Amino acid sequence: MKPPPFSYAAPTTLDEAIGLLTEHSDAEPRVLAGGQSLIPLMNFRLAKPGYLIDLRNVTGLTGIRHEGHVLIIGAMTRMSELERSDEVAMAAPLLAEAVGFIAHTPVRNRGTIGGSLAHADPAAELPAVTLASDAELVAAGPTGSRQIRAAEFFTGPFGTALAPDEILTEIRLPLWHGGHAFVEFSRIHANFAVVGVAALAELNGDRIGRVALAVTGVAPTAIRATAAEHVLAGASADATTAAEAAQAAVEGLSPAADLHASAETRLALARTYLRRGIELATSRARNER
Amino acid sequence: MTTASRPGAPPVRDHSAKRRWVGQSIRRVEDPKFLLGRGGYIADRITPGTLHAAVLRSPHPHARILRIEVAQALAAPGVRAVITGLQAAELCDPMPDFGPDPARHTWRCLAVDKVRYVGEGVAVVVADSRYLAEDALELIEVEYEALPAVVDPERALADGAPLVHEALGSNCAYERTFDFGEVERDFAEADVIITDRLRWHRSGGQPLETVGAIAEYDPGTGSFTIDTNTLSFTSYLFMAANTLKVPANKLDIRPVPAGGSFGSKLFANKPAVIAAMCSRATGRKVAYLEDRVDNISNCDHHGSDRVYNVELAMMRDGTMRGIKIDVVDDYGAYMQFGVGHHGNALAQVVGPYTIGSVRYRVRAALTNKNQQGAYRGFGSEVNNWMLEQMVDKAARELGLDPVATRRKNFIRDFPHFIPTGNVYDSGDYDRVLDKALELADYSRWRAEQKRLREEEGRYIGIGVICAQERSVFSATEFWFWFDEPGAPVTSTPESVTLKVDATGGITAILYSCAFWGNSPETMVAQFVAEEFDCSPYDVSVVYHGSRDGLPATGPGGSRTTVMLAGAVEGAAGKIKEKARRAAAHLLEIAPEDMEWADGGFRVRGDPERRKSLAEIAIMLHLFKHSFPDDMESGLEGSKVFDHPYTTMPSADRKDLGVFYPFMGHACHVPVVEVDIETGAVTFLHYAAVHDCGTLVNPRSLAGHIVGGTAQGIGTALYEEYVYDEDGQLLSSSYLDYLIPSAMEVPEVGIGHVETPSPYTPHGVKGGGEGGRMMAPAAINAAVNDALAPLGVRLTELPMTPERILSALRAAGRAG
Amino acid sequence: MRGENPLAPTTCTITVTVNGQPHVAEVEPRRLLVDFLREDLGLPGTHIGCEQGVCGTCTILLNGASIRSCITLAVQADGAEISTVEGLARDGELHPLQDEFAAKQGLQCGYCTPGMLMRACEILAENPDPTPAEVRSAIASNLCRCTGYQFIIEAVISAAARMRATKEVAS
Repeated sequence: MKPPPFSYAAPTTLDEAIGLLTEHSDAEPRVLAGGQSLIPLMNFRLAKPGYLIDLRNVTGLTGIRHEGHVLIIGAMTRMSELERSDEVAMAAPLLAEAVGFIAHTPVRNRGTIGGSLAHADPAAELPAVTLASDAELVAAGPTGSRQIRAAEFFTGPFGTALAPDEILTEIRLPLWHGGHAFVEFSRIHANFAVVGVAALAELNGDRIGRVALAVTGVAPTAIRATAAEHVLAGASADATTAAEAAQAAVEGLSPAADLHASAETRLALARTYLRRGIELATSRARNER
Repeated sequence: MTTASRPGAPPVRDHSAKRRWVGQSIRRVEDPKFLLGRGGYIADRITPGTLHAAVLRSPHPHARILRIEVAQALAAPGVRAVITGLQAAELCDPMPDFGPDPARHTWRCLAVDKVRYVGEGVAVVVADSRYLAEDALELIEVEYEALPAVVDPERALADGAPLVHEALGSNCAYERTFDFGEVERDFAEADVIITDRLRWHRSGGQPLETVGAIAEYDPGTGSFTIDTNTLSFTSYLFMAANTLKVPANKLDIRPVPAGGSFGSKLFANKPAVIAAMCSRATGRKVAYLEDRVDNISNCDHHGSDRVYNVELAMMRDGTMRGIKIDVVDDYGAYMQFGVGHHGNALAQVVGPYTIGSVRYRVRAALTNKNQQGAYRGFGSEVNNWMLEQMVDKAARELGLDPVATRRKNFIRDFPHFIPTGNVYDSGDYDRVLDKALELADYSRWRAEQKRLREEEGRYIGIGVICAQERSVFSATEFWFWFDEPGAPVTSTPESVTLKVDATGGITAILYSCAFWGNSPETMVAQFVAEEFDCSPYDVSVVYHGSRDGLPATGPGGSRTTVMLAGAVEGAAGKIKEKARRAAAHLLEIAPEDMEWADGGFRVRGDPERRKSLAEIAIMLHLFKHSFPDDMESGLEGSKVFDHPYTTMPSADRKDLGVFYPFMGHACHVPVVEVDIETGAVTFLHYAAVHDCGTLVNPRSLAGHIVGGTAQGIGTALYEEYVYDEDGQLLSSSYLDYLIPSAMEVPEVGIGHVETPSPYTPHGVKGGGEGGRMMAPAAINAAVNDALAPLGVRLTELPMTPERILSALRAAGRAG
Repeated sequence: MRGENPLAPTTCTITVTVNGQPHVAEVEPRRLLVDFLREDLGLPGTHIGCEQGVCGTCTILLNGASIRSCITLAVQADGAEISTVEGLARDGELHPLQDEFAAKQGLQCGYCTPGMLMRACEILAENPDPTPAEVRSAIASNLCRCTGYQFIIEAVISAAARMRATKEVAS
């Protein structure tokens, strides 16, 4: 399982990297971040980029900083750094919790937030986090930068709104107050999730105020569970509501079956994990006060 | 059944001697090199200039090969040769095959006119590197004509199913019904018949190291030398030689340390044959190392894949009378080991119980899948699971306690002959059960189970299974299936040569024996230390190849420890006999007045007059004229140790004879929780008590028990080679073939009981497979115990969340 | 890899320090780090299990952090400090982890062992006094097919105690 041959460059600036993408556009160029998703695909020869543009030496793509109520994370920031960051733990605990579910430490030591989002694996955790958080993803191309809302970023399994000559540079996460929860069901510990739920909930007294839910494993991409959010908004934060919301979330969904779970099982797991995610997020919101 | 000894039993041994080294949990002598990263596995032995092979595998489960174009591949950078299946059929004969009809289910190293499973090799590229070889694979064009695939074993046996081998005329490669004891009488007299249908899906060894071989053909001598991490039994070397079209004495297969096997490296000759064929074709040394996809899809070692329909005849008081077993086994596209896996089942088919009669109907179905090979238990673990499921079902239907029901039927007199004719040499099943229940804190967990369900609505289950772990197979289990077997072989020897050098240092030579993670060097070192009062770390153990090796069969059926014990004992005996005479001569004493003690021979009654082994050795090596004319120089001994207890099957096959006599036993008691919302199963506790006779290295055995239990957990909950209804292999990588990590395996509390075998040196029995032979049965029992209040019972392994949730949904109990 | 063939792939020059030894090498961009270590540098102690980054057999340390060398390109390691199992023993003395693996029989076939040892180094560097449960959770990154993990955990715990004691003596 050896990768096929490719040309390679490790530019030092973003402009250089974008330039290479454009220049070699007919050679099926791809950007290399941590490689934790791409290189296995290349070892299987399921991905055969003709040109690999390695971002490891490009300055300005890492780091975690605040801008008002937004946490800004460089796309090449390693997941292990997110895991260890006090800033992320404080400002984006949903992200911190989700990162803990991503594979194992050795993978997180190399994998990057930008790489995971650009790869857009339907089972991955971070797309769900960005969806729930209404994050903005910043892409840089030959004509400049643009911000893409998470809701528009994930277009299909392993598909994003990035143009072939664009590179993800930054993730902008609005801060949430209140409670968070990332829960997922996987068959083997830390293996890919069968279903996963990212939940954010704020409380007004005993009632749920603002709420956001994203779920993986029930559709071609991670999706916002808007039907569930409508049930929850303004409702009392209790087990019955959570169950109702979870049920509303799975109505009308027809997930694809695979060797691990039938459609019916995925829906049942999604219902269970939505309920658990909502309960955990609201209970944390309560404890926060 | 009778407890009286029958003809053919070896003499009963006296095990009263105190042991100094056998029984000690010493550090393994193998370990230092592995810890230093100098293990010398096959991939570590590639020398510069060696070429690399890569195999093009079929994407179709069943298809005719119409055309293969290799011109582009041949022209690719670094490519030295491309060999198609058609060309390979000229260069090599079919693979060694112990199946029922090899002429009609012909198995070759590469497919010739037809592919029969996804992953089957159709061509091989040889290039300067594996990278370049894989590049060239992509340039080979194959035109296939897809054929309908047959995937379900029962449908494969039905009329009109697509034929995997046209020449066979059927997908039923073997069918026979055996009756042992008074089946009809026992069933007529029974109060109740418990029936069930059970399904065990295939999983496999999946060691972290794949199979690999480095082959060199020497045109000067017409000989092949192959280094490989698989095992090729010395006596059957001629079969591999036939495949390569050379005389047996022109083929040397040399074992190298393997990164695990669990059966999957047993006689796994295909990589060796491919490498050898490529070496002869290119005139260069060639390495073929499977990658993971090669191994998962094309390894020839998938495990048992069975559909059981069973009837258990019971009396109302819990007495077991008889059992009727109808089993269909999905063998995949080839049948290299015939139905030997069912011999393993028949060795212990009634478990530890006094069941008086057995009907065993076995049908081997061929399908478009990778063939079966060996996986830890070799088919006996499946029988254990089936039987224990039936016992639990019977207890539930009769309203009896499952533990009491087992105890009621325990065999208690030994040696005990079961209805098939095999013998259980020794055992104490009550003691094992008692110890397991204690280790498991059984009563407390029963109370906890009740409390947690009533107070918290949680579903806890406790499994208690009592089952056998046979060891040391005889060759008869591969041919007693036929009234007129083509090759009724009866040898399964193991050999050791011990050499004492001029300084008294001892070297032990093993033949066609492999290091797979078992500990043959440690076992031998401990046995030699026991014999000669030396330190086990002073013994040098070397592995010899097959061509000029003594007869040997290697690991399999948990035989290695027992057989090496016998071989060492025999070789040591010859050395001591000569050393005694030599010492006597030097001391001018009659040999019968000398006794072995403390590493030498001394005069009985005058212990100061002694000669150490080293003193004797140097004299024998260098001072011929100090000895009588008839005493040769040197000090060494070889023993070809044959199976000490095999008897022949009767002509009518109502008695299969003794073929797996050293019978271990174990009890596993897992405590699980089933999350009925997700189908997840987690362990709250796990106790395992094993009786493998006298233990050589208790720590080492405990390690095998935990490891085997971990694999049993995989089989019970996670691992399956999943083929969809079109024959596509869905679990083709480790993303989907799920191996338990440390979080899926609990801490296992281990207990040992030792009822020595009366027939083996030191009373040892084999025990390397036991953990996996128990765990699937135990975990299924525990899950069923957890779900019993919901009226749900799982009868299919692995018990995936999908299967558990489906069963709950069907019972109207989905969470 | 670079032959007389006009289609010879281009190579990159990389500088890596492995077990304290600096190396400068020409590698094809596609060359996997595990193959570079095993074949180009003659360090076969790091093993290949799955080549898809799941089993952890190929684990090494890169700048002190565990990584999977089968899904890392050699070029990605340019400028890095790499530690493999061959660098654990010093002056003929086993590292406490190696010695405890032997003492507790934390290995059977030995194939996962180098990766497991390197991961254990990282685990103990981050947490010198872990509980058995913490060790169990941490080594879930590395599959073992032989041992069922139990004796590996015991070995890591014993080694941790020894390493703490040595550190105390030293300080």
